[in-house]
Amino acid sequence: MSNSQDTFEQLLKENKHKIYRICRIYAAAPIEPQDLFQEVVFQIWKSLPNFKGKSAIDTWVYRIALNVCLRSKMQLDKNNQKTARFDAIHFTPVTETVDSFEEDKFKYLKECIATLNESDTSIIVLYLDELSYKEIAEVTGLSENHIAVKMKRIRKKLLGCMTLKIN
Amino acid sequence: MLEQELKNIWKNSSNTAPISIETDRLVKEFDTKMTSIQKTIRKRDVREISASVIGILIFSFLAYEIPFPMTKFSCFLSILWFVYVIFKFRKSKLKNTAEKLSLSLTERLAHKKQLLQQQVKLLDSAAYWYAGPSFITNIIFIIGLGNPADYNWTNQLAENVLPLTVNTKIVTLTALAFFYLFVVWINKRAAKKGVQPILKNIDAIQQQLDNSN
Repeated sequence: MSNSQDTFEQLLKENKHKIYRICRIYAAAPIEPQDLFQEVVFQIWKSLPNFKGKSAIDTWVYRIALNVCLRSKMQLDKNNQKTARFDAIHFTPVTETVDSFEEDKFKYLKECIATLNESDTSIIVLYLDELSYKEIAEVTGLSENHIAVKMKRIRKKLLGCMTLKIN
Repeated sequence: MLEQELKNIWKNSSNTAPISIETDRLVKEFDTKMTSIQKTIRKRDVREISASVIGILIFSFLAYEIPFPMTKFSCFLSILWFVYVIFKFRKSKLKNTAEKLSLSLTERLAHKKQLLQQQVKLLDSAAYWYAGPSFITNIIFIIGLGNPADYNWTNQLAENVLPLTVNTKIVTLTALAFFYLFVVWINKRAAKKGVQPILKNIDAIQQQLDNSN
């Protein structure tokens, strides 16, 4: 196994869940979260030789994931509408162990996030993944202050929406 | 509802479908996909360039064969135009293939917007760099066609194909005018229907990102 393949394997191992979470929010029919996940992974593999280490690898992964997801959602690139299907990636649906109440709560969260605009969506998914304002600023290219101001409003809107849904 | 609860819901959302990845196999699949993408790009390039190369060959032959000076001159202009078209396509393609997905969100949007604006400019100006010059060389070519007997020129094929009479010249020029108008319309439509909506989407997201409220 080559060095770059080792790096890629390690990268996937550490980041696959966070990538999938973002894909679950951005996937819009007919594109499934799994399709989007595979496309993100493909783009990471394609871009990895050009990773210069100027930013943290996590930031770099988030940037690619968000850019691919946004591209798919807004059809920013019509040449890339075809989604990849790779047999080497397996998704095993868990039906018994998943708490249906948890799944309902995620459904509500997804619905509440869907009421936000694209800019706020990209910020909140990073925030929910527990990135600091500094890290969110690095991924989005906005200033930390700008993120803080936006987050104040987004947080209020999201918590209000979730409270309404759950109660 | 507490913020931490939201974060927990979010974190648990990836537990619904455990993901297993066979990296060795995946890398092989990616290699296959990349090869297939490169093949498609190469085929498209060959197709586009070969159309211009065929044009260059035809007009080179005509420049050599046809005795009328004005028509000969238009053939050279056409050859120059085909070379320019190859250059223009290559230049625009080189810019468009550079996908920079590792840029920050704002930088990536700005980069994509720039590429799309160039694309719109290229499509909108098709009348000036594609249809116009091509039509002008066609006009010079057709008007320049004279009487073969005056030049002691006999070529059965050319005489059957080329519009040598006034009537056939008018019909051919009218047909060409309509053809080039159609080409311009198709390009403008592609800019309006295909690219402008994406540019509007980008503008909207950029505004959202800029606004604090």
